[in-house]
Amino acid sequence: MTEHEHTDDDDRPNSSEGRERRASDVPPDTLRERQSFVRTFVRKGMQYTDELLQENDDLRAEIAELREEVGQLRSQVASDDAIRDLLRTVERLETERRELLERSRNLEATHREEEGRHEEIEREVSDLANLYVASHQLHTSLSVPRVVQHLHDMLGQLVGASSFMIYVLDEQRTHAVPVASEAVPADYHREVNLENHRVGDACLTGLPKVREPAGERPGSLDDPIAIIPFLADGRVVGVASVFRLLPQKSDWAEVDLELFKLLGAQAGAALIAANLYQRVASPTEALRGIPSAVETG
Amino acid sequence: MAEHSCLVVEDSPMMRQLLVFALARIKHLSVTEAEDGVDGLRKLAERRFDLIITDINMPIMDGLKLVSRIRSDEVHKDVPIIIITTEGSAEDRQRAMALGANAYITKPIQAPQVIAQVKQLLEK
Repeated sequence: MTEHEHTDDDDRPNSSEGRERRASDVPPDTLRERQSFVRTFVRKGMQYTDELLQENDDLRAEIAELREEVGQLRSQVASDDAIRDLLRTVERLETERRELLERSRNLEATHREEEGRHEEIEREVSDLANLYVASHQLHTSLSVPRVVQHLHDMLGQLVGASSFMIYVLDEQRTHAVPVASEAVPADYHREVNLENHRVGDACLTGLPKVREPAGERPGSLDDPIAIIPFLADGRVVGVASVFRLLPQKSDWAEVDLELFKLLGAQAGAALIAANLYQRVASPTEALRGIPSAVETG
Repeated sequence: MAEHSCLVVEDSPMMRQLLVFALARIKHLSVTEAEDGVDGLRKLAERRFDLIITDINMPIMDGLKLVSRIRSDEVHKDVPIIIITTEGSAEDRQRAMALGANAYITKPIQAPQVIAQVKQLLEK
């Protein structure tokens, strides 16, 4: 309301007085009070309105801020979820990686084991081939020089001995008579009296005597690094003495000991067979008497 | 069907058989044996080989002479040669390599070593 506005009472006719009451009829003090009241009322109203508007604006701003915060929080939550997902994925991948590494390590270990086993098998096959060839060559020869050459090759080329002697025992079995040698001094080429001699000791037992390690010091006629008696029908008929190994060979290999066993078990028989065969004119003559020998047992 | 051929020149029947045994484990490799250097040259005159393995100490013609002869032969001058010998000194090795050998294996031989060496030279 403005100062020019009127109250209802102002415009209502005064029936008792019979004439209209005018504003100018109100006493000036009351009018001023009224006007002051109205002005105050209006001012307060405007002030409240302004405050309400301001408050409204503030609330709107606050709502906008809150909305923004909510938006940020929502995206933060979404982002956190994504990070959590990523972390879960990383964890899963890490687990897979660990499992794969473990599998890889296991496979490598298996592979190494297989390689080791493969090498071992290769070595065993090679050793068996050595033994087979040595035995085959010994028994397919019916010539004494060839059998002796095979014994020479076995010691020199399969075992890797650089200095050795091969003997057969005399009929009294008191002396070892040399039949082949490799790189030995001239004075080694003589019969060895088996009594009180290391070679004699080995011939007595029929067991090979092998010094280990082989390459520590060279052997001699009286102290070979290996003595291998040759047996036939349970008795010693020959012997090999090894004095040195080839420079590239520092010690015995496993197969050498097997070769010594083979020599011990088969060399005597091969020498005897070849020697007996030389006394006959033909292979069939050498077979003479076999049927009756089988019959009589 | 053999794709490669190898000549083994070795006077010891035992060593020859051992080498043949080892080489038989290489697929598609045919092996011819010769008893000494002269026999080796005879076999070389008959056909071409992809690889030659020879001993050094042999009667009639030793392995080093054989290597020299092979290197002057038009057909086989580039064929790889493996020397197998009991001689293990550095001088012996250098001498053999200087004459034209491609590899040097000392006795006693190990079949896996021979197989690996042969495969390597044949692959080249």
